[in-house]
Parts: sequence; C-alpha cells; structure tokens
Amino acid sequence: MMRRTALAVCLLALTSPALAGGDAPRAIVQEMTDRAIAVLGDQGLSSDDKRHRLEDIASAHTDFQTMSQLVLGRNWSQFSPQQQTDFVKEFKAHLSMTYGRNIQNYRNEKVVIVSDREEARGDWTVQTKILRGGGAQDILVDYRLRRQGDDWRVIDIVIERVSLVANFRSQLQEVVSQGGPTKVIELLREKNARGEPIAS
Amino acid sequence: MTQSRLPAVLVALVLLTSCAARRPDASEHDPWEGLNRKMFVFNDKLDVYALEPAATGWSKVAPLRVRTSISNFFSNLRFPIVTANDLLQGKVLAAGNDIGRFAVNTTVGVLGFFDPAAGWGLEQRDEDFGQTLGVWGVPSGPYLVVPLLGPSTVRDAAGQAVDVALAVTPWFVDTWILAAARMFDAVDERSLYLQEVRDAKASALDYYSFVRNAYLQRRNAQLKDSAVNVDNEEELYHPEIAP
Repeated sequence: MMRRTALAVCLLALTSPALAGGDAPRAIVQEMTDRAIAVLGDQGLSSDDKRHRLEDIASAHTDFQTMSQLVLGRNWSQFSPQQQTDFVKEFKAHLSMTYGRNIQNYRNEKVVIVSDREEARGDWTVQTKILRGGGAQDILVDYRLRRQGDDWRVIDIVIERVSLVANFRSQLQEVVSQGGPTKVIELLREKNARGEPIAS
Repeated sequence: MTQSRLPAVLVALVLLTSCAARRPDASEHDPWEGLNRKMFVFNDKLDVYALEPAATGWSKVAPLRVRTSISNFFSNLRFPIVTANDLLQGKVLAAGNDIGRFAVNTTVGVLGFFDPAAGWGLEQRDEDFGQTLGVWGVPSGPYLVVPLLGPSTVRDAAGQAVDVALAVTPWFVDTWILAAARMFDAVDERSLYLQEVRDAKASALDYYSFVRNAYLQRRNAQLKDSAVNVDNEEELYHPEIAP
C-alpha cells in the first residue's frame, strides 16, 4: 500500500510540470464556456443583460489587441497609435454585435472540450464541440491561446475549421490597400452603427 | 456523351492552369474576380428569391428533426462517392469506416434517415474527388464561382464533375426524379442554415471575400486532415516570420 502511494507520488511529481504548463489553457476554456453557458441558460436575465455579461467573460479571456494586430497583419504598422486604438475598439464592438445576435438562438446546447495541443511557437489550441444532436449537426470551435505572463488569452477562434482572424484579414486586405486605415475604421463604424439592436 | 466528356475536359483544364500558375494553395488566387463576383451576385439573387424562401417555407412545415433526417438520408446516399475517394487516396481504414456507416445507417438507421453509426464511433467523413486531386498533388488553381453550385476552385469543380460520375444512384433512378431529389435536397439543406447565412450576410464586411476565404480555409483544413502540407499556418499568427 505504502509502496503504491509512493509510486503514485513519484509519477505525479514526474508528470506535474507538464500538466502545470499544458493544463492552464484547457482550464481557462473550460471555465469560459461553463460561465457563458450559465449566463445563456439563465431564464432570469434579459438578452441585454446576457450580452453584457458575455462581453465581460470574453473580455476577461481575450486579447483583442493581439487579435486586431493579427487581423491587420503587416498592415498594422500603417495605422497610427490612435488608429490602432480605434480599430481595436471597433473590431471588438463588431464581434460583440455579431455574436450577440445569436443569444436568442440558444437552445440548451452543451459544450465539451475535445482535445488540446501545443502549436509550433508556443501558442495553445483547445478544441471544443458544441453539441447539437451529434454527427454533422455538432459545431467544432477551436480556441487559440497565447501566454501572457502567468495568464493565457484567446487570440483566435476557429469555427468549423474557419479561422476568424484569417477570415477578417482576407476581408480587410482589399479595403486597406485601397482606402488605407481611415477607410477600414470608417467601414467598421458604419457596419456597427447599422447593427440591429437586440430585442430583449 | 457530352456529359461524360466533361470531367476529362475539366481535368485537362486543371492541369493546364496548374502549370501556368504555380501558387501555394493557401493564397487566395482569384484572377477571375470580376467574373466571379458577377456569378456570385447571380447565385445570391437565386438564393434570395428562390432557395431561401422555399427553405423558409419548408422549415415552417417540417420540424427540425424531420429536416435533419432528410439531410441524413441524402448524405447516406453519397456513400459510393466517399468510399471511392477514400480508396483513391489509399485510405483503406476510412473506406471500412464508411462501408460500416452505410451498412448500419441503411439498416438500423432506417434507409439512412437516422445516424446511429455516429454514436458507435463510425463518424461521418467527407471525401470528394477535389480532395483526392489535392492529395495527389494537384494544386487548387484559381478560385471559381460556379453557377448554381457556388464557391469552388478549378480543381474542386473538376472533382465535382468526377463525383457525379462516381455516384451510383443515376444508374437506376430516372433523371427527372433525380433532378427533383437534388432540388429537394438543396432546399432541405438550406433550411438547416437559415440563421447562419442571415448572420453571415449581416456581419460580413465584404460578403464575397467572406465566402471565398471561408471556402478556401475549409478546403485547406480537409486536405490537412489527409496530411497534405498546404500552408504555413504559423505565419498567420506570427506576422513577423512571414516572408
């Protein structure tokens, strides 16, 4: 008995450094999705309340600065510091609007974490699945996280194999090359202003 | 006769364009953007005025469970195409998986309307001749918006033509019934994505490039599943290492 315990402790000591590094991103995604689902399923909250709470959860775990930088790619340096700040703000608002639309469509779906892996340069990808009845109906959602000090922050969301960062980069590529930073921020503002408010 | 010659013509076209333009698959090679955009608008009009209204109507008549079952039924019929492409790519185990799926879902799943196989670990897989060509090393060629069928590339369009030839159903089903079934399949499938398409249109900054990029990303991901090295994803996340 003693010997078995000792063996277990040894094994634990051997494997724990790996766990400490590799477990954090997975735990963060788990916590994030758990909290989001609790908010979505809360009957006592209005759609607006839900949206605000979800924004708080997303803000706590997402690095919108890096995300914006990646969306603009090498064009980022064309933006003045003020334009960069404006872009981050408008891009965040745009995402909030896009995902906010789906709040009323929540039908008690559950989320499971499928796996996680380390990427070539230290980022971490956590694969999740939104369960909607199995097979082709389920939705694959991957979160890519980057370490920031002691914390890990989401820098991209890949839905059904389509990266949000890559998709926005492609959409904005032409706008940047033709109209420059001003046009990009203008387009986002215009789009955000037109967004339908959520019926509560 | 003309129909059977189409695949050969398209394959030739792929080989021609791939020699002319050697570009990595990941880039959005779209030299025909002007024409593609026109075709995209045409397809979108068709969707807005015909397909979406039909799908909306259908979604009001048939509950989600029924529409999902019909979608399962049609996807079960794709079994010969998927399996043939598995074998053409040398994926023998995957072919076994798909044969097992077809057997289970056609019997226990009542002619494919239900998908019990997925619960038994026989997951649905997606293979087509466009992917097979990709595995064989044929580059995707330029992006192409095909009338009625939507986003594609020269390689994938050629692949689709071959897949039509690989389907077994036309051998024993009347053409008109087949055409009607395909339309029904399209309406039913569209009814499963009413909200998603509405959201995408509302939030996209440029709907054309949104769809083009999403299509190309998905196709690349499917090829990556077959261990084809399509692009350096790390460059997306580390702009400083991009050449």
